Amino acid sequence: MTQLEIKQKLTDIFRNVFDNNAIEISDATTAADIEGWDSLTHVNLIVAVEKGFHVSFTTKEVMALQTAGDLMRLIASRAT
Amino acid sequence: MSFLSPEFAVFLALGALAFHFARGVCRRLVLLLLSYAFYLTWNPRAALLLLGITVAVYFVAGALEKLSSARKKLVLLLLSVAVLLLLLIFFKCAGLLARHYLTGGAGNALTDIIAPIGLSYYLFKLMGYLLDVYWEKIPVQRNFLSLALYPSFFPQIMSGPIQRAGDFFGQLAQLDNQLPDNIVIGLRRILFGLFKKVVVADHISGMVDAVHANPAGFSPLELLFGAYCFAFQIYADFSGVTDIAIGIGLLFGIKGPENFNLPFWARNIQEFWRRWHMSLTSWLTDYLFMPLRFSLRRFGEAGLCAAIFVTMIAVGVWHGPRMTYAVFGALNGLYMAVSALTLKKRNTWFQKRPLLAHVRMVAGPLLTFHLMVFALVIFRADTLHSACQYVTHLIPGLQSAGISTLRFDRGLLHTRQIALLLAALGFAAMEWVNWAGRQNTWTARFYSVPCFVRWAAYYILIILIACSAQETRTFIYAQF
Repeated sequence: MTQLEIKQKLTDIFRNVFDNNAIEISDATTAADIEGWDSLTHVNLIVAVEKGFHVSFTTKEVMALQTAGDLMRLIASRAT
Repeated sequence: MSFLSPEFAVFLALGALAFHFARGVCRRLVLLLLSYAFYLTWNPRAALLLLGITVAVYFVAGALEKLSSARKKLVLLLLSVAVLLLLLIFFKCAGLLARHYLTGGAGNALTDIIAPIGLSYYLFKLMGYLLDVYWEKIPVQRNFLSLALYPSFFPQIMSGPIQRAGDFFGQLAQLDNQLPDNIVIGLRRILFGLFKKVVVADHISGMVDAVHANPAGFSPLELLFGAYCFAFQIYADFSGVTDIAIGIGLLFGIKGPENFNLPFWARNIQEFWRRWHMSLTSWLTDYLFMPLRFSLRRFGEAGLCAAIFVTMIAVGVWHGPRMTYAVFGALNGLYMAVSALTLKKRNTWFQKRPLLAHVRMVAGPLLTFHLMVFALVIFRADTLHSACQYVTHLIPGLQSAGISTLRFDRGLLHTRQIALLLAALGFAAMEWVNWAGRQNTWTARFYSVPCFVRWAAYYILIILIACSAQETRTFIYAQF
């Protein structure tokens, strides 16, 4: 998968999880930039990402995530 | 030595002078000496324990970085966090368990064990540091002086806030670039904190103590008033000590995290807990709720509820080994689980009914506030029995015979009209300042008024504090 494909698919997942079709993500996007992205919805997002990309993350990997860019890089390291 | 004692004022003035004349590594050394000197005034043995734990954490963090095996790293992390947790449980529970279950020499020795002041705060800081190192969020702190300062930093050791290691070490590296404004902002913050504590919280604390000492002796109206007053008291008291801690920290170049963000205006219970005791709840969210929720993700909503309940009970029992705290936590877990499971549906429902959405904007904060007032009655009660008595006597018709539902006897409530008026006006002023301080326009207006107007306001605060200081009590959160 190219970086662009990952970003596009991840944007769709974000829009679906947070019920907002206007969401655009970038490398620097954090929870503070998206309404409704809190500790409760964060795991819903990770579960949706795991399903969408057919990958599985460890607790340590998820806890180290700080930005959407970190998430994209983590997906890229796993997705085929 | 309490923040409110005259000795502390002298200690602070001399400490600030020494800090500002020092440079480079000497500044950190001065801060460490001040922190340990402050802690030694409470209990020398507790200072030794703090130093011992700090040394152990220093080496464990180093080992976490050096170990190449992921499994060994995890085992070391779990072992070290378990030891820190066991220490916390031991000191918090030993005396209580010994009083109930042990007799003889061992029982007597354990009964005398009192949890060192600030233990819950500094152990949480160090656990967070180890977890951050393990998750590779921050590098290991190789400078022992800096690491030793982190848990012992005297403005935060007594009542928090629980600052994150990365934030603290980042600011510590910039100690020589201290902004002169920090001193003015810090002093203003200390003054505001004293106002919240002495003028607002302490004027209603006597009444809260009275209604909780004997709930059966009060009318439903008096108990209702007492319940509201405790919510205002604990907010003013705790946010007051946080302001003082942040203000003192600023005098020494360290800005601590905020603990409150207008919690009584929260629209739902999740938002409330994002605005109340924020440094503890965000700590528990990051280091307990998130790993637990992620591990239980396969169980869907059941996993979510389990993670919420465990986290909220942890919020409760962090305050101490009492059933009232555990029930307070569990009740908030229930609030939170119901709110989290229905939030999306509620949002959709209200989106289709714009008129009702306006009602929701008022009803949401009101309902959230009252749910918390109820939970805080249980939190404040001395025992679960006393809490039940308080709640049942709140309901008209269940109160003791001979007490009118609407009785309001200021004598029995140990309060005077002037004290209530001062507390009410003080609370309104405090909440307005809390709100205005978050608006850029009001902050700009504050700085644009002539200097003498600002100073007049400071002097009014000082006079009010001085006039009220006779009734000053210790901070509620210093006991945790």
